Amino acid sequence: MAYTRKDVTTLTRTEKRRFVDALLEVKRRGEYDEFVRTHIEYYVADGEKGLRAAHMAPSFLPWHRRFLLDLEQALRRVDPSVTVPYWDWTKDRSATASPWTADLLGGTGRGGDHRVTAGPFAYDGGAWPIRVNVTDIAYLTRDLGRSADPITLPTASDLKWALDDPVYDTAPWDSTVSKGFRNKLEGWGPGRGAASWRNHNRVHRWVGGAMVGGASVNDPVFWLVHAFVDLQWSRWQARHRDSRYLPAEPPGLGNAQRGRVVARHERMPPWDVTPDQLDDHSAIYRYA
Amino acid sequence: MIVNAEGAPDGARRESAEPARPGPGRRTRRHLLRGLIAPAVAVTLAPLVAASRPPGEAGPSRAPDPTRPPRPAPAPGGPVEAAAFEETYRGRRIRGVRTTDGRALGGDDTWHVTVDGRPLHLMRRADGTWMSMVDHYGSYPTPLEAARGAVDELGPREHLLPATHGDGGHDLRRGRHGVHP
Repeated sequence: MAYTRKDVTTLTRTEKRRFVDALLEVKRRGEYDEFVRTHIEYYVADGEKGLRAAHMAPSFLPWHRRFLLDLEQALRRVDPSVTVPYWDWTKDRSATASPWTADLLGGTGRGGDHRVTAGPFAYDGGAWPIRVNVTDIAYLTRDLGRSADPITLPTASDLKWALDDPVYDTAPWDSTVSKGFRNKLEGWGPGRGAASWRNHNRVHRWVGGAMVGGASVNDPVFWLVHAFVDLQWSRWQARHRDSRYLPAEPPGLGNAQRGRVVARHERMPPWDVTPDQLDDHSAIYRYA
Repeated sequence: MIVNAEGAPDGARRESAEPARPGPGRRTRRHLLRGLIAPAVAVTLAPLVAASRPPGEAGPSRAPDPTRPPRPAPAPGGPVEAAAFEETYRGRRIRGVRTTDGRALGGDDTWHVTVDGRPLHLMRRADGTWMSMVDHYGSYPTPLEAARGAVDELGPREHLLPATHGDGGHDLRRGRHGVHP
């Protein structure tokens, strides 16, 4: 039977504790760091050679859907009652309320080095050492709201702008496309600086610290963010019943995107699964 | 038949497929990893910087300026004209030199950039802008600005990984592929 992913603000005290405990156990087993490595490995930018499966590509959504399922599976091996909650950043916009409480993710980092000092993932607690990183620090960092040069979280209308687009994605299927649900949600906008950071990308930057870098998975909020991103895909499907994942077929011979994006029925690395097979999650989980 | 990007049959084992890392890119990374470019940087950087530094731009002796705005304007000249750059930004030594052995699609505009002597891995976006391993959800018009953006994200005692551990992230990419629950 399908399990339920819940709004993080609705978790009971026990549900929060079990979610945190399962994360800490997956970390202790060494499994968590593999997720960090995988995310770094599959972040291929669109101005470079090679297949990009995870970002700046149509498979941004199915890739992260499968990535979340793998983490959720690891959590549920520890505690079968646990599911990944989602954080609705359009609704819960405070840097001091859920999910940033000491009984869940802990809060923002301290002044200076942005080290997280409260909650289960604070370095001094000893349960969340950062072992796979792009820099030499071993502690989790955050800078909620980007204190030196503040930005706001994306809004419900920002999300609606993405959800209203009836086309899943458009050629050249990268970070430069101005149309299509996928990039509007992933959030590569035109221009430079804060004005160009939309939806998903903007949330990464609002959280700051580890979430801005290639090792963003080190912050467990990564999963709550991507559960909400995943929920948007489901909402978009419900809104546009005749629309599907694109491209349906691989780009043709001579097309610059040939071999660089995953079409609907192509294998999406590192898994033996296609975007089409991840199109419908209702048999596995649902969102409350 | 469903095939992946390298033409391997769907269902090919991931150990043999390595689909996300075609040969040329991987080879380039190893050049960087093994430091083959670093000696060239040491030999050529000083004259290149001297030749390319715009008038009025402080040289290597410039002291860190704590009053400097955190996100300054683009570098005068930019990378199109210059073959290298070097500056101290917020107390960090930033150096960059253009290489010709690149992963970028153009192939002729790849940069080897260091912060305090440690490699900063840059990636290229399709719109020509640059992003770094420590700043992955936004991009910058030039490699120098991407390096400054990376410095902005570093804490006071936080450093990039030493070159012997990879060029700021490549080391993390080696080894196991995929998630093995």
